[in-house]
Amino acid sequence: MGEKVLEVISLRVYYDLPQGTVRAVDDVSLDVRRREVIGIAGESGSGKSTLALAITGLLRPPAKVVSGKVLFNGVDILRLSEDELRRIRGRKIGVIFQDPNTYLNPIYTSGFQVAEVFEAHRGIHAKKYLNEVVKLFRLVKIADPERRVYAYPHQLSGGMKQRVLISMAIAERPDLIVADEPTSALDVTIQSEIMDLLAEIREETNTSIVMITHDLALLFEVADRVAIMYAGKLVELGRASDLIKDPLHPYTKALLSILRYERKKKLTSIPGSIPSLINPPPGCRFHPRCPYAFSKCSKIEPKAVNIDGRLVACHLVGGSE
Amino acid sequence: MSLARYLIRRVVQVIPTFVGALFFMFILVRVLPGDPARLIAGPEALEEDVRRIRELLGLNKPLYVQFVDYMVSILRGDLGTSLKFGTPVINEILNRLPYTIALALVAESIALSVALPLGIISALRPRSKATYISSVISLTGSSVPIFWIALIFIYIFSVSLRILPSSGADSPRHIVLPSITLSLLLMGNLTRITRSAVIESLSSNHVLTALAKGLKYRVILIRHVLKNALIPIVTIMGIQIGSLLGGAIVTETVFAWPGIGSLLIDSIFYRDYPLIQGIILFIVLVFIVINIVVDVIYALIDPRIRDVLWRTS
Ligand SMILES: Nc1ncnc2c1ncn2[C@@H]1O[C@H](COP(=O)(O)OP(=O)(O)OP(=O)(O)O)[C@@H](O)[C@H]1O
Ligand SMILES: [Mg+2]
Repeated sequence: MGEKVLEVISLRVYYDLPQGTVRAVDDVSLDVRRREVIGIAGESGSGKSTLALAITGLLRPPAKVVSGKVLFNGVDILRLSEDELRRIRGRKIGVIFQDPNTYLNPIYTSGFQVAEVFEAHRGIHAKKYLNEVVKLFRLVKIADPERRVYAYPHQLSGGMKQRVLISMAIAERPDLIVADEPTSALDVTIQSEIMDLLAEIREETNTSIVMITHDLALLFEVADRVAIMYAGKLVELGRASDLIKDPLHPYTKALLSILRYERKKKLTSIPGSIPSLINPPPGCRFHPRCPYAFSKCSKIEPKAVNIDGRLVACHLVGGSE
Repeated sequence: MSLARYLIRRVVQVIPTFVGALFFMFILVRVLPGDPARLIAGPEALEEDVRRIRELLGLNKPLYVQFVDYMVSILRGDLGTSLKFGTPVINEILNRLPYTIALALVAESIALSVALPLGIISALRPRSKATYISSVISLTGSSVPIFWIALIFIYIFSVSLRILPSSGADSPRHIVLPSITLSLLLMGNLTRITRSAVIESLSSNHVLTALAKGLKYRVILIRHVLKNALIPIVTIMGIQIGSLLGGAIVTETVFAWPGIGSLLIDSIFYRDYPLIQGIILFIVLVFIVINIVVDVIYALIDPRIRDVLWRTS
């Protein structure tokens, strides 16, 4: 496959809190190739958003990068100055956040807020770019775009606002779009429309997409490869089709079996709960909830092994040691 | 267009409040102990003279008749004649009003020009000196009584250092001490609210969006942080109008500043009913106008409020 747009190498991001250090992203490696949609899934609190913020250079205290690299087109964005980073954000990397209601500023029109992306990278006041925004709104299928550019966020529906945020992310045709749960605040009917839209945009603009969600069903529809995170660790990474057919990590298996039960309208969840990231369990972080755990799992942390281009971190898999 | 309709609706709505406030004030003035007729007649006057003066002033009529008479004359634009000065009340008020307006404006400007930068800087740099200074100002402003501050200022700057006058309004230098005193009354809360509004605005999600667009820091600060923070700041300024007017009365009295605050105190001592009523009527009007102005400013800043206010009018 194509060249790497993004390469995350042994990244650790911790939150320094008075109660202790939260190891939200702990030694995660992953790469994204051109035109690829890579999905990241995992339960709430597994570190997905923290990873997204690190990729986009948007981490703010108390978050701190402890070690690792985030190479974007070969440049480590964690080492860039604030101004160098600013030139990349919005132009080379677009971000779509979870909740369209709070990520738009209520006091400016939607068109103006999108036009600000152009202002940021081409100079000249945002007002001059409203015509271009109309075109963008048409691209993201906002009806009546000539009028909607003058609409304030409170005059738009949730789905419409998310389309506005998407048009903002794609405005400068970035190489990479990071979408952190772009549909979870929306109605079910609108969720798949938005996902389809993102897939179309990928086709038209050749951008790569990092798609974060805990809705696995949606994810497997659009993603080329899927990464599964658990408690700050990446436990499995592989082609979506392989993962869904033959999950290797017990946590992936558990997530997928929930998905199948949900299809049959039976609600289940994995027994137990996600551990504290201040004092994570020793060894494999999943072992307290793992049905296959044995003594080694609570003592030694499994290393990720590569099986035919697929990464799995489990003692049961590929374990020659 | 819709703004004009909104304003008309507001003015109409406020009429009952206005009449109610006047009625309350009318009764209050008359239940104060003391009798203007007796004050006018002098200590050695005969009971008969006092009675005649009272009749002359119309004070022997039932209260509600007096009030109706008063409302009728207000509608004719007549606020009555001052008992103390023998001149039309409106003239006395208009002579003194510029002084109070000047004092209030200068005090508000001083308060804003200290509180806004201090509040903003201490929000942006939590561990800086600005944060320390602003918490000191917040504390003193809300815990030290204003007349006490006034007396300390007079002691330091007029009595000890002899660099600033302590009473009167003969030169621009005379406004320095009273306006600073009055500004201290506003500054504390204003600083505190500015600081918390900016902190809240900074942490809002749309600021993260602005960062993600690659906007310059300065643009983000002005457009997406400070402008959003204006709403609570304007709110507190509106609320503070009460403190400002109340504080003006105390300040004007201590510094013998010839505004309507000190005029009000004089007229109360003299039981000058028409003058007291005229001044309070003006104060009520100022309150009403400023409240409407504050609401209009809200609507100009926030389109959500604009939709609600304009559309229902
Ligand atoms: N600003 C913050 N300050 C302190 N701790 C944080 C902060 N943001 C996240 N965390 C902690 O870091 C861990 C990972 O959080 P993160 O938001 O990255 O998870 P997530 O996988 O995105 O979860 P969700 O599915 O709920 O969005 C959690 O334990 C969370 O409590
Ligand atoms: Mg998240």
